[in-house]
Amino acid sequence: MEKEEIVSRLTPVFRKVFADSTLVITDQLSALDVEKWDSLSHMLLIAEVENEFTIKFKLKDLNKMANVGDMIAIIESKL
Amino acid sequence: MISNNTFHSEVLQPFQIASEKYATSNAFCINEVFYSYKQLGEIISSIRASVKALKPGNDNVGLVANDDIETYAAIIALWLEGKCYVPVNPETPAERNRNVLTQAGATVVIDSSEQVLFPELNVIRSKELSFSKPDLEPVQVADDALAYIFFTSGTTGVPKGVPISRANLAGFIKAFFELGITMDSSDKCLQMFELTFDLSVMSYLAPLLKGACVYTIPKNKIKFNYIADLVEDHQLTVALMVPSIIHYLRPYFDEINSQSMKFSLFCGEALPLDVTGEWAACIPNARIMNVYGPTEDTIFCTHYTFSRDSYNKASNGLVSIGKAMNGTFTIIINDNKELVNAGEKGELCLGGVQLTPGYWKNEEKNKEAFFYTMYNGAPARFYKTGDLCLADEEVDIMYLGRIDSQVKVQGFRVELSEIEFFAKEFLNKVNAVAIAFTNQLHNTEIGMVIESTEFNTRPLIEYMKTKMPGYMIPTQVRFIHSFPLNTNGKIDRKLLKEKF
Repeated sequence: MEKEEIVSRLTPVFRKVFADSTLVITDQLSALDVEKWDSLSHMLLIAEVENEFTIKFKLKDLNKMANVGDMIAIIESKL
Repeated sequence: MISNNTFHSEVLQPFQIASEKYATSNAFCINEVFYSYKQLGEIISSIRASVKALKPGNDNVGLVANDDIETYAAIIALWLEGKCYVPVNPETPAERNRNVLTQAGATVVIDSSEQVLFPELNVIRSKELSFSKPDLEPVQVADDALAYIFFTSGTTGVPKGVPISRANLAGFIKAFFELGITMDSSDKCLQMFELTFDLSVMSYLAPLLKGACVYTIPKNKIKFNYIADLVEDHQLTVALMVPSIIHYLRPYFDEINSQSMKFSLFCGEALPLDVTGEWAACIPNARIMNVYGPTEDTIFCTHYTFSRDSYNKASNGLVSIGKAMNGTFTIIINDNKELVNAGEKGELCLGGVQLTPGYWKNEEKNKEAFFYTMYNGAPARFYKTGDLCLADEEVDIMYLGRIDSQVKVQGFRVELSEIEFFAKEFLNKVNAVAIAFTNQLHNTEIGMVIESTEFNTRPLIEYMKTKMPGYMIPTQVRFIHSFPLNTNGKIDRKLLKEKF
C-alpha cells in the first residue's frame, strides 16, 4: 500500500477520534499538537486504526511511536 | 536544638546522608537524561541560596510544577530552608493558579519555565542560577511547620487547600518503610504523577532517602506507553501507579514480563481484583499492594498486600484497602457518629500522626470534616473521608463507594458540583448536571447533561477550560428536555447516568 493511501485512510479515523473535521495529518503530528490526544483517546485511536487496516500493534510498537510518521511506518511494516 | 524533630530524622537527615554516600549514583532520570545526587545537591544549593537572599515574607512558596530537575530540587531546597511548597501546574488555567497562590499568601514563586508565569510575584528563575557552594545542612524548624499545601477541587468553584505538616510527612515516611518496602541505591522507582497530586510525594521522596533513582514521565508522552517502556528498558523495581494504567496495558499483558519489579503499589482509584491477578503474572517477583488514603491523611494510610496463591479479600470485585499503617487510626461510623460493628457499612474516618492540621483558612469546612471522639481511651481527632466502607473481623477494610458526589478522574479528586458551578455560571439559568460514568476501558469520564434543546457546546467547554484543569472538563455532553426526579424530588442522577 502506498503511503498516500495509508494517509487517506488514516485521516477520517483521526478526524473521528478527535472530533475535528478539519484535522490534517502530517508525519510530525503528535499528541503535543492535538488537544484531545490523551491516554484515553490514544487507546481509542489505536483500536480504530487496528480495525481500519486489520492489523494488531504490539506494545513495543506503541511505546516507540512518537508521531504519526512512526505510526505510518509501523502500519506499512505490517501490511 | 529542637528535640524529637521527626522531619529531621526521617526526611532531611536521610536525604543528606544518601546524597553524600551516593554522590555519583543517579538520583533522577528525566526524559532519558540522568542526574546524579551530586548534581541534584548543587541545584538544590543554588536554589536555596536564592531563597535565602529573597527572604520570603511568607513561609508558603509557590512552585511551578514542571517536569525537570530544578522543580524537584526546589522542593528539597525549600524544606532545608524550613519553607513549605505550594505547587501549581502550568497547564492549569492561570486564574485558578493565581487563586491558589493568593490563598496560600505566597509572595515568592520558583519557576523553571522559559517564560515566567506569575510576573506579579517575586520570581526565582531556577534554570538561570549558578552554583557556588554546597549547602545541604537543614535549618532547625519545628515539626508543626508545613511541608506542603496541595489544593483540590472544592464544591463552590474555589480550590480547597490541604496543608500537610512536617510531622505529618515524617509520620508517613516512617510508616511507609515500616511496611517492609525496601529500597537502596540500585533501585529504579517510577514517579508518574503530576506534582500537584500528592502521590507524587511518595514517588520522588522515598527513593531520594535511600539513594535510589527516580524515573519521571515527560508531560507530552502517553503515560501508559512510557511506563511500559521504562519497565522494559530501564528495569524499574518500584512503581506506585493508578489502576487505570494497568487497564490501558491489559490488552498487552502477554508482552510484559518484568523480572526486576519488586514492589508494585496501586492507589488513587479502586483496584479491581481480576486485572490485578493478570498483572501479577507480568511481574512474577513483585509484592503487589493496594494502598489507600486521601490527601488529608498524607498520601496514603492503609495497605493491603495481594496474595498470589491464596484467597484475596475483595468487595464487588474490588481489592480490599486493608489495614491502617503504623501511626494511623481507622474507625467506621454511622450517621450518629457511633462506631459500627464488624461487617456493617459506615463512613470511614481517619486519625493519627498523618492527619492534616485542617483545611487552609476554612473553618466552615473544618467543622464539617473533622471531629473528636474517644479512641483507645483518649480523645482523638478524626477526618470524615466521605468513603463508604466496612471492616471485617480482622479489621481489613473494604471500599464500597462514595457517600457524596466526589469522584476520581485519573486519580484526581473532582467535586461534580464544582463542574456544575462553572457550567451554570456560563449557561445563565439553564440547568446542568455533571455525571461520572465508566467508559469501555473501565476508566471514569465526566459527562454533562444540560436541560435544554440542543446547542453548540463549544463556547461552554472553552469557558470551563479557563476555569478548571483538563481532567475536570466534560468529555461528552447530552441534552434533555427536563431532568427526571427521584422519589425525594431530587434530580435522578442514576437515570441521567444511563445516557452515557
